[in-house]
Amino acid sequence: MSSDLEDRINRAQRGDREAFSRLVEEHYASMYRFAFKYAGNREDAEDITQQACIKLARVLGQFRFEAAFTTWLYRLVVNCALDWQRSRKPAANEEVSELETDDSPDSALLLRQVLEQVETMGEGYREALVLVLGEGLSHAEAAAILAVKESTISWRLHEIRKRLKTMYQPGVEV
Amino acid sequence: MNDEELQQLFARNEHAPDAQARQRALDAALVAFDAVQTEKNTGHHSQGTADYERLTPEQTSHGSKIMNLTVASPSPSRRWVYSGLASAAVLVLGVFITLQVPWQGGTEVLEAPPRADRMAAESLSFQAIQATEEVVVSAQKRAAQPAPAAPVADLMVPPAYYERGRDRFAEVDVNPIKRVAEAPVSTFSIDVDTAAYSFVRRMLNQGVLPQKAAVRVEEMVNYFHYDYPLPTARTTPFSTSVSVMDAPWKAGNKLVHIGIQGYELQSEQPRSNLVLLLDVSGSMNSPDKLPLVKQSMSMLLSKLQPEDTVSIVVYAGAAGTVLEPTAVKDKQTIIAALNRLQAGGSTAGADGIRLAYQLAEAHFIEDGLNRVILATDGDFNVGINNPEELKGYVERKRESGVYLSVLGFGQGNYHDALMQELAQNGNGVAAYIDTLSEAQKVLVHEATSSLFPIAKDVKIQVEFNPDTVSEYRLLGYETRQLAQEDFNNDAVDAGDIGAGHGVTAIYEITPVGSASGVYEPSRYGNEPAASGKGEEYGFLKLRYKLPDESTSRLISQPIAMDAQPSGTLLQEARFATAVAGFAELLRGGKYSGNWDYSDALNLAQANRGDDPYGYRAELVQLIRKAEVAEAM
Repeated sequence: MSSDLEDRINRAQRGDREAFSRLVEEHYASMYRFAFKYAGNREDAEDITQQACIKLARVLGQFRFEAAFTTWLYRLVVNCALDWQRSRKPAANEEVSELETDDSPDSALLLRQVLEQVETMGEGYREALVLVLGEGLSHAEAAAILAVKESTISWRLHEIRKRLKTMYQPGVEV
Repeated sequence: MNDEELQQLFARNEHAPDAQARQRALDAALVAFDAVQTEKNTGHHSQGTADYERLTPEQTSHGSKIMNLTVASPSPSRRWVYSGLASAAVLVLGVFITLQVPWQGGTEVLEAPPRADRMAAESLSFQAIQATEEVVVSAQKRAAQPAPAAPVADLMVPPAYYERGRDRFAEVDVNPIKRVAEAPVSTFSIDVDTAAYSFVRRMLNQGVLPQKAAVRVEEMVNYFHYDYPLPTARTTPFSTSVSVMDAPWKAGNKLVHIGIQGYELQSEQPRSNLVLLLDVSGSMNSPDKLPLVKQSMSMLLSKLQPEDTVSIVVYAGAAGTVLEPTAVKDKQTIIAALNRLQAGGSTAGADGIRLAYQLAEAHFIEDGLNRVILATDGDFNVGINNPEELKGYVERKRESGVYLSVLGFGQGNYHDALMQELAQNGNGVAAYIDTLSEAQKVLVHEATSSLFPIAKDVKIQVEFNPDTVSEYRLLGYETRQLAQEDFNNDAVDAGDIGAGHGVTAIYEITPVGSASGVYEPSRYGNEPAASGKGEEYGFLKLRYKLPDESTSRLISQPIAMDAQPSGTLLQEARFATAVAGFAELLRGGKYSGNWDYSDALNLAQANRGDDPYGYRAELVQLIRKAEVAEAM
């Protein structure tokens, strides 16, 4: 961890508002990037990221420098994403996103369909998929963030591959 | 979908966050931060720097302990112990229990690619999506016939695809007023498309005025059927009627109506070989798209003969044949194939077109009708997505005798220009289907016109008489202008006429001596030599080819100054005028003067005539809506 960042976290933990603000600004983009890959649309991604920022303010004091800050932060965002996922379930049908990425609307839709598919496989799969294939982390890193064994991540990805293999042939049911 | 595709999918979904959202999040976080600080300060009466040494967080939070221990314990053995004891164990167990998969031993890494037989066991079901689509369609008020009752969809359904403000139309300049002394000849290709009217109707029904580029006057006018005299002999496939009346929006100007009426199919329908090319990409996942396509196509089957064949090609991320050519008497097979379709993936329209043409050519019927019917929202974003290339392909394929018709669906991301170009170059019709009743009009009532061409490359040329006409303007047909010299060139492509089709073109002219012209008289202009044809406004020439011929034939007739219409013809001419005037108003009314929506309304209302299907009554309603929308 760079000493700059360490210093900033230290000062934020001691109540330095300026340092905390800088910390959020520096990490907002990467938090949002993850959230978008998890949620598949802009509005939800923004909600998740905002919740994560608020949560960061509350729990930053608990960060002990024992793990990399990014790993710790990933975990925080994953938890916020899970909260969002749970709160959304009853109304999963009605929500419609009007704001799409500007260049290719199809890809955001396809991403949502993939995520919905993976979501039906059970808990933990969606996170594993987004962390490993979306964020390019290794199985070990993803395992650390999700607090599971590395082999569990490998297993989940294996299952996901199996499931998605049959998906999106030329638009016809197989 | 493999890892690489998934990675690419994620990568495509990376983009910079919105600055406003970021600011909002930062503000919210700072509020929370301040709250935490205040709490600390008041609760413990301590100040600033010693806060991080306090024990509070460790005592109150389990989360952080586990988080820090499992992730960062210095020794691996400790890490295993903790992770085994803490939430990880529960989680892992939970996953295996809920999935009911055998315990894998915990340490074995499953990186090897799965075997094919295991993969086959997994199959995907998207029936839920389809069920919802049908539910929504049946709920649409405008749907003309009730959809079959569908089961209530369960919860795991991706939301339908909605988009706004991405409809694409090619901008064209409104035809200017021309001086007869400078450009006495006007040449254009006929246009039997109706897409513009349906799109305008859709916008007006939502209470907004359509964008100006979406309004094409000639398509609005040609949406309606006019009661022109039918051709008498089969040797000429259509009749032409010309009439002259006063322009309602400018005193002194006259309107010249040119009406062309194709003959109705008398004998049996020729045998047909239809290839339905359907877009099933993700963007079609909306109640007014794929479900409407399915219903429309099922309707079309009712107009075909039992021996005719239908095949279905779909395209999304890739193209595939869903149904090999099947005789229409096997209707159930065709309908079942249609009903299996679902939307998903990106759009490789070009591959689909190629495959469809291959299929049509493979089952080519000599002396019959061979046609590819493309149903799409026009969003081609994979493969050949260069419109020029696609056009070239379709144009070359036209020579093989396979025609292309384009049916446009959906809104918000509708690519009008591409669809027009494709249909024009493929000797076909472009129609826009917004409701089930429109599908009925295009595919059932007008099936013969849409399917069976009676003449192709129909061009119109009008030469105005400088003795009698000083200025003229063609209403609409901006996208169909031809060069004067191309009129006699049979290699130049133009529009087609189907059985029973009618086409109307309207010129607004300023007679010589009328003060209603816009041009100043030329000070040095030569006086035109008197031609001795002072009783004609101009001369109309029409070129066409029979569907299987390559040399054109010519029809010509003078436009007499006293061609005052009467009876039915007058009523039809007036109604066409009302439509054209309305369309021009929607486009901004550059030449409409003080004539407004209420004038259009009165003119249309008074000349509705027989109107068996209520199309003209609908126009009257639309004019009212436009009046309201404009006021807002």
